[in-house]
Amino acid sequence: MSELKPRKDLLDIESLTLDEIEYVLENAVPFKQLFQRSVKKVPTLRGKTVLNLFYEPSTRTSSSFEVAANRMSADVTNFSVSASSVVKGESLLDTIETLQAMRSDYIVIRHQAAGVPGIVAQHTRASVLNAGDGYHAHPTQALLDAMTFREVYPDFRGRKVVIVGDVLHSRVARSTSTLFNKLGIEVGVLGPGSLIPEGRHGFMQRFGSWDEVFDWKPDAVYLLRVQMERQEGQFFPSVSEYHKMYGMHSTRVQRMRELGCYLMHPGPVNRGVEITDEAMGYEKSLISTQVENGIAVRMAVLHWLKPETQLD
Amino acid sequence: MARLFQNGKVWDSDEKAMVPSDLVVSDAGVIESLGSNLSVPEGAEVIDCDGCLLIPGMFDLHVHGREPGDEHKETLASCAEAAIHGGVTGLVLMPDTSPPIDSGNLVKSLQDLVSEYSAISMLPSGCLTKGRKGEQLAGFSGMANRGIVMLTDSGSSVPCPDLLRRCMEYAKDFDLLVTTSCDTTALTKAGAVNEGKVSYQLGLPGIPAMSQEIAIDRNIRIAQHTGARLHLQQISTANAVKSVSCAKEVGTRVTCEVSAHHLLLTEEDVVGYNTHFKLAPPLRLETDRLALVEGLINGTIDVIASNHAPHTEFEKSADFGSAPFGVSGLETTVLSIFDGLICPGIISWELMIECYSNRPRLIVGRDPVKIKEGEKAEFFVFDPEGETELKRDYFKTKSPVTPFLGKTLKGAIRKTVV
Repeated sequence: MSELKPRKDLLDIESLTLDEIEYVLENAVPFKQLFQRSVKKVPTLRGKTVLNLFYEPSTRTSSSFEVAANRMSADVTNFSVSASSVVKGESLLDTIETLQAMRSDYIVIRHQAAGVPGIVAQHTRASVLNAGDGYHAHPTQALLDAMTFREVYPDFRGRKVVIVGDVLHSRVARSTSTLFNKLGIEVGVLGPGSLIPEGRHGFMQRFGSWDEVFDWKPDAVYLLRVQMERQEGQFFPSVSEYHKMYGMHSTRVQRMRELGCYLMHPGPVNRGVEITDEAMGYEKSLISTQVENGIAVRMAVLHWLKPETQLD
Repeated sequence: MARLFQNGKVWDSDEKAMVPSDLVVSDAGVIESLGSNLSVPEGAEVIDCDGCLLIPGMFDLHVHGREPGDEHKETLASCAEAAIHGGVTGLVLMPDTSPPIDSGNLVKSLQDLVSEYSAISMLPSGCLTKGRKGEQLAGFSGMANRGIVMLTDSGSSVPCPDLLRRCMEYAKDFDLLVTTSCDTTALTKAGAVNEGKVSYQLGLPGIPAMSQEIAIDRNIRIAQHTGARLHLQQISTANAVKSVSCAKEVGTRVTCEVSAHHLLLTEEDVVGYNTHFKLAPPLRLETDRLALVEGLINGTIDVIASNHAPHTEFEKSADFGSAPFGVSGLETTVLSIFDGLICPGIISWELMIECYSNRPRLIVGRDPVKIKEGEKAEFFVFDPEGETELKRDYFKTKSPVTPFLGKTLKGAIRKTVV
């Protein structure tokens, strides 16, 4: 592998080179092995500070970053902004000023507005890790998905994944499909027309039904969370109809079993909506592996990024 | 002091050509003489225009002056300075100030401000509906008596078709031009960019092309029914051009405008979340852009109008979704169109003058400006060999927010006489 150029921020998947993706995914492996040991900590980021800045409610991603930073021996500050004090666009620059003054080395940010991590990155010397911005991107989710997929399919190139559900409102669909495409994994989508935007990436072929999906013989089915809180309009008539048309239940699990197909989900799941309780118990579910790999991948990303604060 | 403009080429509106000529402007601002080798009048300032063009002052149908109410964005004084700096010697002020201009008294107070602060002609428009709320008709007769040149809720559409119908019927009695922004609110919702590939990639809510197209079709239909004169602001899609073309074919009294931004830029320019490209209507596809240029050339699109909509750099520094729509345009319209369309030979100066000087004046009932003996001097000196670096300090507007900020464009406006 050629020498990597130092990178300050991780904002999206589009801007990553294949070498950088390989570097992160390969480094995540030894970090994951660490989790089997009684001491799960390395001293890599001792003395460094990580600011966890969440403008949107999140337990999973926020704690995953926190655990990752802790295991790297960094000092972590959690800064969550309650949903009620919605931060107005106007004050964004002021907020950045404040953050800059805190002299964090790494800023992990989730924001409801697409593009905000990029603005923060431009105005701060800290490394900015996008933990999800609007419908735009969720790059560490994509990396953990790729790591998970590659663990079960070391010969991942040419394999097939179908993403099911609300692609329109999903930053996960955007980032994960882009990364899978970069890695040579074929991506299809299944979902109602109202949630599968016309402008989606050209490489994502669309299926009309589960039958078409299973005829395609996917190697993994990736269910998206139905974003109940984002259904401001009427995108589908009812949850039960959605479940009937696109949800994962025992009959479909059986088809997956016959194909040897894995099941993925970015969490948290809406039981009874995109997946039933019984389907949750599917033996080829990778959902908890995804959570575990999330920590390893985030450690690898923290290890890789080079904040400009280190120039002082 | 009289001024002699020497060795330039003067736009002759009868010959429709640039004619080499000297030109003398009297102390009183009247064109005294035109011709070759004019002698220097006593005490006159001599302005060397070698290689330069003398072009009739432009007229902008769509300017948000921001005063009263939003003086931190722009004042009438800074707006007038920006206009002059951009070769624009007359314009129509949109009524979306605070308070909105929706009564005769407010028109009067705006006119007082204009006469105090502006050296150029800034004509008032008035709201279609009270407070631009889209609920009740504004006071047309009072505003008409004060001399407004159009009725518009510019920046917001009249959502209710019945109310727009009544507006048009009522406006017709005063022969007032009804001007509409073309947007279907229920489709635009919280959209920030054109709906399509770019909105998907950036994860921003999209504004579908049909949001404008449905509004245009609806407004044209109401104009046909009522017989009112309709002007459509900021056409942005290929289908919109088609609709206007069809309407004109059957004799509908409709005109429309396009901005330099929509003639030169596309949604691809928004990649990178630069809020200086956040416009209403949004930048569309290359196919739309080409249709707009074609529509301008074949006469479907009547005028170029800047939609000068200043917001401060601070306001525009918000994230893309939250930042306000609109950018400044008075100082970049002539330059960017010269650079992007005239220089490469896509459109001529003749068309430019027709679309940004003559027709907009005719639409609001004013005579086109001519560079002729005995006429008031209203022209600008343009150096086609020059270059303009659009740095922050180039601008006279209070809000130098434009997609062209930081770019160097071909051509330079050396001087505007008004």
